[in-house]
Formats: sequence, structure tokens, C-alpha cells
Amino acid sequence: MKLLDKLQILADSAKYDVSCSSSGSSRSNRPGGVGNASLPGICHSWADDGRCISLLKVLFTNVCIYDCKYCVNRSSNDIRRASFTPDELCELIIQFYRRNYIEGLFLSSAVIRNPDYTMELMIKALRKLRHEYRFNSYIHIKSIPGADMRLVHEAGLLADRMSINIELPSVSGLKLLAPQKDPGSILEPMGYVRERIMESRELVLYKKPQSFVPAGQSTQLIIGATPDSDLKILTLTERLYRNYQLKRVYYSAYVPVNSDENLPSIYTSPPLLREHRIYQADWLLRFYGFRAGELLDENHPNFDIHLDPKCDWALRHLDQFPVEINKAPLEMLLRVPGIGYRMAAKIIRARRIGPLGFEDLKRMRVVLKRARYFITCSGRYYGGIDPDSGLLYQLLSNKADNKVMAGQISMFG
Amino acid sequence: MIYVTDGSFEGILAAVFEAFRNREDPEEITLGGDFQLSIAAGIREIPTDTGKSDRVWRGVQNRISEKSLEDLYLAYLSEHPRVGLYIYRYIKLGLKLGHKVEEYLQHPDVQAIYDLSRRVSKEVHLFLGILRFKKLKNGVFYACYEPDNNITQLITEHFASRLSDQAWIIHDRKRDVFALHNGEEVVFTTGLSGIVHEDCEEEYEELWRRYFTTIAIESRKNLKLQRSFMPRRYWKHLTEKQL
Ligand code: SF4
Repeated sequence: MKLLDKLQILADSAKYDVSCSSSGSSRSNRPGGVGNASLPGICHSWADDGRCISLLKVLFTNVCIYDCKYCVNRSSNDIRRASFTPDELCELIIQFYRRNYIEGLFLSSAVIRNPDYTMELMIKALRKLRHEYRFNSYIHIKSIPGADMRLVHEAGLLADRMSINIELPSVSGLKLLAPQKDPGSILEPMGYVRERIMESRELVLYKKPQSFVPAGQSTQLIIGATPDSDLKILTLTERLYRNYQLKRVYYSAYVPVNSDENLPSIYTSPPLLREHRIYQADWLLRFYGFRAGELLDENHPNFDIHLDPKCDWALRHLDQFPVEINKAPLEMLLRVPGIGYRMAAKIIRARRIGPLGFEDLKRMRVVLKRARYFITCSGRYYGGIDPDSGLLYQLLSNKADNKVMAGQISMFG
Repeated sequence: MIYVTDGSFEGILAAVFEAFRNREDPEEITLGGDFQLSIAAGIREIPTDTGKSDRVWRGVQNRISEKSLEDLYLAYLSEHPRVGLYIYRYIKLGLKLGHKVEEYLQHPDVQAIYDLSRRVSKEVHLFLGILRFKKLKNGVFYACYEPDNNITQLITEHFASRLSDQAWIIHDRKRDVFALHNGEEVVFTTGLSGIVHEDCEEEYEELWRRYFTTIAIESRKNLKLQRSFMPRRYWKHLTEKQL
């Protein structure tokens, strides 16, 4: 088979994995080596779906022994199958990298023969890439559920980031749609990787560091293949960040590729807006000091799709608003709809010079479209309406302009 | 008064020096001789004098923060027609306010420098990703681009450390600026246009284009979003957009 066809097949079957970020690792080049890793991450292109291309995202093989219901590569599907040889893959990476097409590699795989065998093949290719081809830049490897911890460890020494995809946000979903996978086989390696990461950080203190997935681990959840609520998803996310110290949780709006009685119909379009809302909420958890239980609860288990989650929250907590722009602490500024991290920092800097009025905010390019209803400037309110009237919802919801932004893009890192 | 400089950073700083010495607020500080004549204003030609520009730079170094200095230089690279004047006003304010000037974002001149500096660093970051090298028949990697801002010097550093064992050329076609890397050091030069033959090996270009089209998910197609990250004016030199 021609390399061109292989690449097409193995990229096509990898494209539903959303993670593409190349951030979080910083490594300088060494003499005779190819490449370095850049801390903030670099996007190299944007595909026609608007998603960033940073890493060459391919499967090592799409030959699979499993039959997960939601997956294109499941064994019962009649599709073209291919596998890379380690050299083909290495050469492709190096040549793409030298032309500045990519930041590095995201290697995943279907399960060929058994999990250990698959993992060994991937490790062999990575070892070659690192040692023979002297590739020094970013590698993200997806660990195969069910593989031996010894192999997980070995892979972790070669990669910058490792992910173990949970895919389905609940055990019941997993049992229904991926019956051959053991839920334990996902969380166990996640815990293992967390331990090894912490250990390698401690080692740094007294001997030469052995770098183990320096950019941390991540996972992916599929949105909309199962009936799980936003609350359920966010609670899981929060646990993953807290207990497993994941760097990122990625979300992937379910794109139907197979028909099955337990799956949404093949004609459903992917819930992109919902995915976007969940990304926004994820952002609020990580950087804005929100907890999942504040954003949603049993009485309100799903986000209003027409509001961004911060607005949704603010409308249910009007008693905390308006906040005075010249006095509010950072934590509270960050809770104002429409004010992001950069703006909050700007406001705090500028108000040290003198009190800020509404016009000053405009000049500083604070976007006031939403914020104006939630703030006062030196005691004056510029919202022009009574916040308690039902009008606010109308003004804030974007039923009219449905701008869908895939969350990962402006928010990578 | 209109101050006419040669458009170099030193030239602008020399103009700042003159403005202070003459105790006057120029109406314009131009980048080169191409500017709008105004009947009311006189013209002062400012020779680029590094003695004067150094004195200004050293003077502000002691007064304003590293970040402010960086913003001034980045803003300069935007080649915005009014940047000379913004730099003058920012420096004047900086000498009065010291480190605080960086925070004075309510002030239109501070905001202007901040905006231009951001615009430049954003384009730098974008081109670290979307600059494309072709492998020429003679083995040299060649990248051609037309950035809005004069950023060749800034992006070159990144590629010198990343692609350190390669011979490569980065060519700003708009400004006729070349950065040449021979595997050891970088040399900047101009006036090579037409010398580079753009014939290149096609194999990996084709593989990349195939990858690019394959990786998009059809049911998520969103060309507007794509363009918002990668505006159309940049497509001309993108391998994946040349079909
Ligand atoms: S194991 Fe992975 S590749 Fe194989 S069917 Fe399941 S999800 Fe798809």
C-alpha cells in the first residue's frame, strides 16, 4: 500500500480524538537533534472544521479486536485497514517537522492482537523516533486500556504527554457501548501515571531527573453518545482534575459513524454547541475558581444552551451583582460575565492609577456587551435596565447569533 | 512640526531626542519620506544619529520597565504610520510616570503602543506555526511569506534553535528581507529576489495536503472559524492551501 493511502486511512480513523495541544513541555534542542518543545504550544494550521492542527494525529494501526459500538474502527465495520511500519512513521514525522507542518506526534492505536502487543509496537516506534531519528520535539501517546503497567511506564519515559481516554462519562455507558472494556482498565493506569509523575518530580530534588510525561496526562469524554447530564460530566471532570491531577480533559461532540440501537440515530448532528458550553465550563473550573456544584445542581443539571455558563450562573445569582469595578477583588471580577482573565488583570492594573469610569473601560477595550449589566463604575450603573426584570435573559442569550467556537481552540494549554 | 526620519528604530529615537531638545511636540514623526504634507506644519529632517538614540534609550531604560521597552520595540515593528509619534508620546509619559506608565491603559497613547505590540506578537506567534518550508532541489529549505509586520528577525531565532541542523532561508517577500541559516549562524540580507529557484520536492507536500484534508470532520465543517484563526491573506504561501 502506498504511504499516501496509509496516511489517509490512519489519519481518518484518528480524527475523532480531539486533543491536539502541544503545550506544557519545554525542551531545548541538543546538538545533532531535531527540534525542541515550546512551552505555550503552537498551532500549525486549522482544518476546514476550524480545529487547530498542532500534532500529526494518527493511529499506529486501525486493525482492532474490539467492537466498541460508537467507534469507526470497531471490528465489525467493513473499512480499509492499515498499519505503519516504525520507519514510515518516523520518516513522516521528521520530514513534516523539518517543513514546519507540525509540532510533533500524537500517536494512538486500535488494539491489534492484544493491548500489550499493541503498546509494544507503539513503544518500538517511539524509541526509534527518539533515539535513531533523534526527534526532540513533542510526543503525545495514547495509552492502550488493559496494557501492562510496565509498558505504560516505558511509554511515559518517551512521551511528553500521555492520555488514557475515558470516552464515556459513566460506567453504565461504558458497559453498554464498550462491553469488552473493563472500566478499571482506564482508571488504574491513570492513577499509576499520576504516581509516576509525582515521583519523577521528587527525584529531581536529589538526582538527575528521569523525565516522565513532563506535560502531564489528559483524557477525552464523548458528549452526547450517552444520556449523561452536564452535571455528571462536570463532576467527573472536577474529580479528574483534583484526584488525578490531569492537565486537560477534552470533550468530543459525538459524531455518529455507526448505527446501533443503543446509540443516537446516525442522522443526529454532533452537539457542537453543548460541547462548546462544556469547554467553557471546564475553563471556569480550571481558571476562574468555580466549582462544578456551583455551576450546576440536581435541580439544574444541564446548562442553558443559549447562555454561556458564566451568564447562566450569574443570572441565578443576581444577589451578588452588580460589583463595583474599582473595588471588587480579582475573584469577583472574574465572575462577571464577559470579563475574562486578561481584562480582569488589566482593570486591576489600571485602577491603581486612578478610578475607572465607564468610558475608561471602553477605551481599554473591555467588552461591555454583557458585563455592563453586572457592574458599577464608581457607584454608577450603566446597564440601563432593571437587572431583576426578565429582560436580562433576552439580552444575554444568543438564540439569534449562534456562534459556535470549538472550545479547545482559543483555550488550548 | 513634522519630523522626517529614515524609518529605523534609531531614527525614531533620534527624533525623540530632537523633540526634547527643541522643546516641541511634533505633529508627526514619519517612517521615511513618504508622508502627507500639511500646509501648516514645517518639516524637520532628522538624521539618524546613534549617539542621540543611545542616549534616549539609556535614559528610558532607567525609568520604565523591561516590559515597556519591549512593547515599544514590538510596536515599532508594526510599521504603523503613526508609530513614531506614539513612541515619542509614550516615552514622554514614561519619563514622567516611570514604571507606572505600563499600567496607564486608560491613556490613548499607552493603549496604542499596547495594541500595536500585541498585534506584532500575535503575528509572530502565528507564523511560528504557519510558516512553511519547501525543500528545494539543492537541499536547502526555503520559506516565503508576506507578514503584515516586520517580524523576520523575531521568528528567525525560534527556527534557528528548532531547525538548527538544516540550511534554510526565510524570505519576507513584501520587504525583500532574507534570513539565511547555514546550519550554524543566521545572516540577514536583502536583494536576493529572483535568485532562489522555487522548484521543490513534491512528495511530502502532497502527503501534508492529504493529511490536511483528511483530518477535518465533515459534519463539523466551519470555514468561518478556520478563517478567523488563519485569515485568507496568509493562504498564498500555505502548502495545504495550494491545491
Ligand atoms: S478499542 Fe479503540 S479502536 Fe478499537 S473499537 Fe474500541 S474505541 Fe475503537
